[in-house]
Amino acid sequence: MVDKPPLILEIKGNSLDDGPGIRTVVFFKGCPLSCAWCHNPESKNPRQEISFDQALCVDCGTCLSVCGENALSRENPGYVDRERCTLCFACEESCPSGALSRVGRKMGVSEIAGEVEKDLPFFQASGGGATLSGGEPTLHMDLAGDLARSLREKGVHVLLETCGLFDFRRFSEKLLPHLDAIYMDLKIMNPKRHSQACGVPNRTILENFRRLAEFSRQGGPSILARVPLVPGYTADKENLLAVADFLRGIGLAEISLLPYNPLWKDKTVKIGTGFADDLSESWMSREEIEECRASFPDFTIQG
Amino acid sequence: MKSSPVHYLAIGLLKAMATSLTVNPAKRRYLFSADGPLECSLGFTTESGSVTAGLILSKGRARAVGQVPKAADTVMIFRDDKAILEMLSATPNEVLNMLLKSRVRIQGNLTYANLFNFLVSLLMGKRHVKMMEDKKRENREAAKLCAPDAAEDLGPDAARRAARLSAPSRDPGVKVLDDPYLPEYGLDDFPRLARFLDIHFTQSPEVSAERPRLLTEWFREFGFETKGNGEPWVPELRQARAFAYLMKNRRPIIRAGDLLAGTTTDKEIGVVIYPDSHGTMIWGELLSVPHRELNPYAISDETIQVLHHEVFPFWAKRNFREWVRDKYGEPLCQRLDERFAVYFLWKTAALSHTIPDFPRLMTLGARGLIREMEEELAADPGADRDKRNTLKAMAMALEGLVAYAKNLSLEARRQARHENDPTRKAELLHMAKTCARVPEYPCETLFDAVQCIWIAWIGLHMENTNAGLSMGRLDQWLQPWFLAGAKDIKDPEAKQAYVREAIELIGCLFMRLTDHLPLVPDIGNYLFGGSSSDQAITLGGVTPEGKDAVCDMTYVFLKVTEMLGLRDPNVNARFHPEVNSAAFLTRLCEVNYITAATPSLHNDLAVFDSLAEFGYDPADLRNWSATGCVEPTLSGAHIGHTNCMMMNMVAALEMAMNNGRHPLMEWKVGPETGSAENGDLSTFDQFFDSFCRQFEFLIDQSVEYNNLLGLAHQDIRPTPLLSSVIQGTVEKGRDVTRGGARYNSSGAAVIGLADVTDSLMAMKKLVYEQGRVSMSQLKKAVDVNFEGYPAIHALVQNKVPLFGSGSEEAVDMAKRVAKFAHDTYGGHVNYRGGPYTAGFWSMSNHVAFGGLAGALPSGRLARKAFTPGLTPQPHASANLLDNIRDVASLPPELLNNNIAFNVKVVPGGGDSHERVVDNMRSYVSAYFGLGGMQMQMNVVTSAMLKDAMAHPENYRNLLVRISGYNAYFVTLNRDMQLELIERAQYGI
Repeated sequence: MVDKPPLILEIKGNSLDDGPGIRTVVFFKGCPLSCAWCHNPESKNPRQEISFDQALCVDCGTCLSVCGENALSRENPGYVDRERCTLCFACEESCPSGALSRVGRKMGVSEIAGEVEKDLPFFQASGGGATLSGGEPTLHMDLAGDLARSLREKGVHVLLETCGLFDFRRFSEKLLPHLDAIYMDLKIMNPKRHSQACGVPNRTILENFRRLAEFSRQGGPSILARVPLVPGYTADKENLLAVADFLRGIGLAEISLLPYNPLWKDKTVKIGTGFADDLSESWMSREEIEECRASFPDFTIQG
Repeated sequence: MKSSPVHYLAIGLLKAMATSLTVNPAKRRYLFSADGPLECSLGFTTESGSVTAGLILSKGRARAVGQVPKAADTVMIFRDDKAILEMLSATPNEVLNMLLKSRVRIQGNLTYANLFNFLVSLLMGKRHVKMMEDKKRENREAAKLCAPDAAEDLGPDAARRAARLSAPSRDPGVKVLDDPYLPEYGLDDFPRLARFLDIHFTQSPEVSAERPRLLTEWFREFGFETKGNGEPWVPELRQARAFAYLMKNRRPIIRAGDLLAGTTTDKEIGVVIYPDSHGTMIWGELLSVPHRELNPYAISDETIQVLHHEVFPFWAKRNFREWVRDKYGEPLCQRLDERFAVYFLWKTAALSHTIPDFPRLMTLGARGLIREMEEELAADPGADRDKRNTLKAMAMALEGLVAYAKNLSLEARRQARHENDPTRKAELLHMAKTCARVPEYPCETLFDAVQCIWIAWIGLHMENTNAGLSMGRLDQWLQPWFLAGAKDIKDPEAKQAYVREAIELIGCLFMRLTDHLPLVPDIGNYLFGGSSSDQAITLGGVTPEGKDAVCDMTYVFLKVTEMLGLRDPNVNARFHPEVNSAAFLTRLCEVNYITAATPSLHNDLAVFDSLAEFGYDPADLRNWSATGCVEPTLSGAHIGHTNCMMMNMVAALEMAMNNGRHPLMEWKVGPETGSAENGDLSTFDQFFDSFCRQFEFLIDQSVEYNNLLGLAHQDIRPTPLLSSVIQGTVEKGRDVTRGGARYNSSGAAVIGLADVTDSLMAMKKLVYEQGRVSMSQLKKAVDVNFEGYPAIHALVQNKVPLFGSGSEEAVDMAKRVAKFAHDTYGGHVNYRGGPYTAGFWSMSNHVAFGGLAGALPSGRLARKAFTPGLTPQPHASANLLDNIRDVASLPPELLNNNIAFNVKVVPGGGDSHERVVDNMRSYVSAYFGLGGMQMQMNVVTSAMLKDAMAHPENYRNLLVRISGYNAYFVTLNRDMQLELIERAQYGI
């Protein structure tokens, strides 16, 4: 489906918000959805990218002398002319400050597992583990499955964060047997609005959620629905009530609500992609969050 | 050399000074001491000789001369003419700070330089005060800019204190407490303690002259070097007799409402003066000390007169520094120390960084100890004269202690007679009975035991400088008395009352421990800002037999620690991962969270490994306690002077880059190890070797000075009382200053491990392996503080694997450096026949030494603080786990004087009390599991610290951990405050 081995965006240790205990999160690069608000925009594209961070640049000019494509200039919006850039990364290698950086690194199972396993003592002390996130780990079903299996063999608790859009047969064969827990996003219940905001319909996602909930009941990995609260997209009463109904319909009464984080916009500048201009610039107020929570009066709400 | 205009200015001013001092009777009396006129001569010059002048005090007159007097006692050598002009406009406290900055250096007697400062401030009078007040105001205004609007709810919030966990289980050693966490108690339940705490935070400390006045009185009458009949004194006997005189004659004071009798000084909070160590350093500031910005002291006119006329002149040459100077001709090792930039020898102030054997004093009483000494002598007919004298001195000192206790008893009885409140009257009568019995006879109750410890503590501080003398395993040692008292209590209510009394009693002991402060001349505010005596108490761990030592009293001490949130006593906790319970670790983390900074946490297994090379008796090893900051001492049996010196390892790196020359001091003092810019060092190993040779030079010098100062202690101030409560002295028949303790060693604090490691990594990777920058380019960039070299600065900061980033290579480099420090110190033997140890903690000297260092290849800019202890640089990794793992992978065998690993953690806004504590416990538990040795967490945000900098009045009790000790943030100098703010902050 995409390049192999896949690209890893980052392996981030010491996360306390991606499952129980102290966790190490493996971020895959590439996602089948294209949500307008995606707060990890550098994880959308399944290929490597070059990122430029103006704040780190010391203006030494070293990169200009190594670029054979003439793709770098102060005149360019975002510094890098992405039409000309061939992603040779000569500039990134020469940059002393880290202002130019490579987004995405090819890594194999053993390399990733090795990184994660360094944190085993912290997992053990805290009841934590590894979280596969992204991007979308299920785009790389074979690798994600091998990784999850390898980690679990070492006694690591493995949690998957997924958008829910995957082929269920392959998923249940490759990945599902090696998971301890799943966090799946439920973003927008209305199919049309979902397609508009996320670029794909939500039918498969909801279907997959139902099946996983069923598996969970039969002793499979636990499943938790997560709703990113995005004003103007997901955080309206109608949508949230629909989410609540959906979950009640399959007998679930637990949910995680993730308040909107406006800081992601800077990231799009660095990789030269745009963003929808109707997105909020500010954090949600306590009242707004409370209002969202009110749609789930009979639920246990995490986060 | 042609004389400069400043030459004539200096002579003119000295003449004016001399005239004023000689002519004005109100001033002239300051030229006399109780023994007659002050006699000394001072010279003033510059490095180039452009100025030569002198001031001679003789026969009650002052005289200025146009040259440096022959055989001047003291010569102040200024960097240049400009430095002299700077001094003319400086306040007395700033003059010493010019020493730090190498604007001036002093040859000869330091005391007289301080006397000179005193005389200057006498003449400058109100002008100095105004200058200091103006400066203070200016600094306050500048600090406000960090956070112009006071924040509403940033303080160490009440919410942390309000939420209290219950213990999930009871440790096997807990016999009485139903819930060991004691969640039902808060400060509000102890109005007596709340009142004392309020005094602690509002009362100004005041300089007390009681100790030096009485001692000087005695020495003046009976002689110091020789007795009246001209016979030389045996130092031990002289000190014992003087001590006994002091104890019998000092005022027995019972603080209003206190449960414990006795005070360290005659002031509510007293600053103790030890003129036999560093006391005369305050001479120059006597008139200005109430007005200085940092840690001002009140001082009465009477105290000024006593110190100036009666005390300081007597001790001008009778202190450790001057003893070495006179006997050994101001050796290089001493001159290096007195420039402050490469190492600082704490032995100039104290060597009593140790733990007394309280259990023996409590169970045998002073009488029992004396009887043992008599039995020893009876059993050893061949005992030499030294042994007889030493034991006699020890007995005499104990008699002095008992005499003081009896005076306290009488005072309590006297107060009881005048007391109308029946409750208080009963307390006083009880106190009178107790002090009549302890410490003379064995303790019978918990109350006896605590009172005994406190009286002994006062005595020890009357003998030994209050710098790091520590209390040891008080939870273990008090538990038997606590249990004995609880034995017959059946009624739950009576039991509750008993527990409550124990908490209050220990609370009173904690508050008593705050009744004195070490004397800090202003230069000390920059070197050791905000430090108190650092009286470490150690809780938990295992018993000498290796069993779980956590007991009822452990949790009582933790409750008191939590309620009071004091900087001192410095509470340390031992945790044995295989023996102690998770419930205990959770409670330690909860107290750390609530107090924001304490206790400091130690891994027993790692500490045992770190000391394995010495082959200590396992039972003694298991009985270790933290001393001063974090350092291990075998309780009651060990003089380990674990903070004999603070070593600036970065200075060695700077000297290696400059072929032996130290840049700030502009002094080519180290060996020539090759020029970095000329390509003499063509491989990394050559560079590393050159660093090692400079470091070895500094270690050799510092060790030499430490050994000479040790001899000075033996002559100037043997310590018979301390010797009487340290095992080994009776059998050996030697004072602890002469190696009488069963175990002897000396410990150094080696500062700058992360900065040195990262600098070496930068050179190894970028210069020697990748060739991305040449050594001469890097050297040029470092020399100019990277100005004009942004690319090189960016490169060293971003493209080098750092210690704390998860890089094995960087960890290996840190090990290589630590091993060199360990082995080189370990190759020396101290003057008591013991080994040297090396630890990687820094007290506050990472800030002070950082302020005296130029830029580094690591990218750290000139004058910036080093990292505290061995803590990685803040930008080493955004991942706390990398920090933890790297620090934990340093083998304890290389860290035999312990470490200080600082972690600043910030709980997420919405997290519950329980979750925060649980996260903290997870980090500590994993760190210990990985073999980590020590960890100290600050649970504060940078925003809170900034707000405190701007609005100190709202944060008087904000506790922070520096590197091994605690301080109230608002008492720190600005550089230290900034260092804390800039520390990496990790969300938890």
